Order: sequence, then structure tokens, then C-alpha cells
Amino acid sequence: MTIREQMRKGTTTVIILNLLAELDRPMYGYEIIKELESRSEGYFRFKEGLIYPRLHELERQGLLRSEWHGEEGSRRRKFYRITDKGRRRLDAELRSWQVFAENVNRLLGVETAS
Amino acid sequence: MSDVDALMDRVRAQMDLDGETEQEVLAEIRDHLEEAVAEARADGLDEGEALARVAARFGLEEEIGHELQATHAGWGTADAVIAAALPVICALILRWLAFAPDGTALGWPQLLSRPAFWAVALAALIIPLLRFERWRYALVTWAIFWGLTVIFVALPALRW
Repeated sequence: MTIREQMRKGTTTVIILNLLAELDRPMYGYEIIKELESRSEGYFRFKEGLIYPRLHELERQGLLRSEWHGEEGSRRRKFYRITDKGRRRLDAELRSWQVFAENVNRLLGVETAS
Repeated sequence: MSDVDALMDRVRAQMDLDGETEQEVLAEIRDHLEEAVAEARADGLDEGEALARVAARFGLEEEIGHELQATHAGWGTADAVIAAALPVICALILRWLAFAPDGTALGWPQLLSRPAFWAVALAALIIPLLRFERWRYALVTWAIFWGLTVIFVALPALRW
């Protein structure tokens, strides 16, 4: 697995939480994937099916809440929304990420804008 | 069987979940695949090409099915403790409610007139519903609660 793949895998959770917090509306799995691809200009393209175990895990942890839209028998779609607990986790993860990134950059001698 | 069905069957083959959960997981995946195929067709691909593109982007069905199974299989420790403790707590509270201090059993009218009884009955329905978000689990706990109630009232000799 390349560094890019490892980083992508490790950051999927926080990126999903961040997207749902930023847009602040319910989104379904495929819509989340397309939005992430679009925002990252194709960089953040992963095996699409793997988003579902991540979403379900986040829901089990209480970080997301889901609801089905559509009638029984017709096309139904599952939408996810971030919870208050999810927002708190996102804040904590973003702080951790900032510290982590600063330290890795320092070790690698990479200069950052700040 | 459509090609989407064949793809879903390979995901399903890796899962051994309760029917309701599996149905929901597969419905969500079907929605994804159908939208992705429609999008590929709109890009000008024929059906075979569209499905090939969707399958490639979706990932290995075996890996995804395996991860979904790992995510959903079994309850967490906290859930297991709650599921096991609820009937026990119901039984203990009912025993306290259904018997007078001298050990004689109350009849239905006295029991049903106690607000505490209805508070427990409501808790037996609401707690599992909120915790597990499944009506089925709530109804099972509710059934256990009423089963115990009938036993305590109808069979007062069971003063364990």
C-alpha cells in the first residue's frame, strides 16, 4: 500500500464527518463519494463500496444518524446526518490532525504556509 | 438476474446478518449501483461497459461484504449488557411490584392501578427502542415483560 493510500484510508472518517458538518444537510453514500471526488479534484477516489462499512461504523458510534427516504416498494435511499457527538469528535480529530501534520512536516523539513 | 444482482450476490455471500439489517445494507448498495450505472450510461457507455466501470470503482465485493459483516456482526459490550440486563431488571422490579410485603400476590386490578407498574412497562419498551433503534428488539423486551407479569400474577406460588 502506498503512502497516499494509507493516508487516504486513515483520514476517511474525519473527511466524511467534515463534509457532513460543513454542508449541514443529510447526504447519501453515493452523493458523499461524488462530492469528495469533486472537492479533491479526483485525488480522493477510493473503492466506492468501502464507504458503507465506514458510514455504518460511524453510525454505530453515534457520530452519524441515518434515515430512509422514499416509500416501501419504490426506490428508497438512506441519508446520513452528523450528530452533536459527531461534531465534537470532528473538532477533536481536526485538532489532532493539525498537531500531527505540523510534527510530520517538521520532521520532513516541509515548510507550511503558517 | 441482472448484472447488478450478480454483483450484490457476491457482497451478500460474505454476510451472515439478521434479515432486517442485511436487507437494509443491500438496499443501500443497490441504490448506489443503480445510480452509478445510470450515470455511466448517461456518459455514453453501453450496459456492459457501464457495469464494468461501476464494478471496478465499487471495489472487490468480497472485501466490502467482509467489512460490512465485521461492522454489523455481534453487538458491542455495552449493548450486550443492556440486552441481558433488561429482562433481569424487569423481573426484579416486577417481583417487588407484584407482591405485598407479607408475600401475598397482588391481583390484576391492584397491579394495573400502580403508576410504578406502567413506568416499568414503558421503560421496557422505550429503552431497547432508543438503544437499538429496532422495533423488533423493543417488542421482544415488551413481550418478556408481559410474560413475566402474567407469570407473577397468575402463578403466585412462584415467589422466587
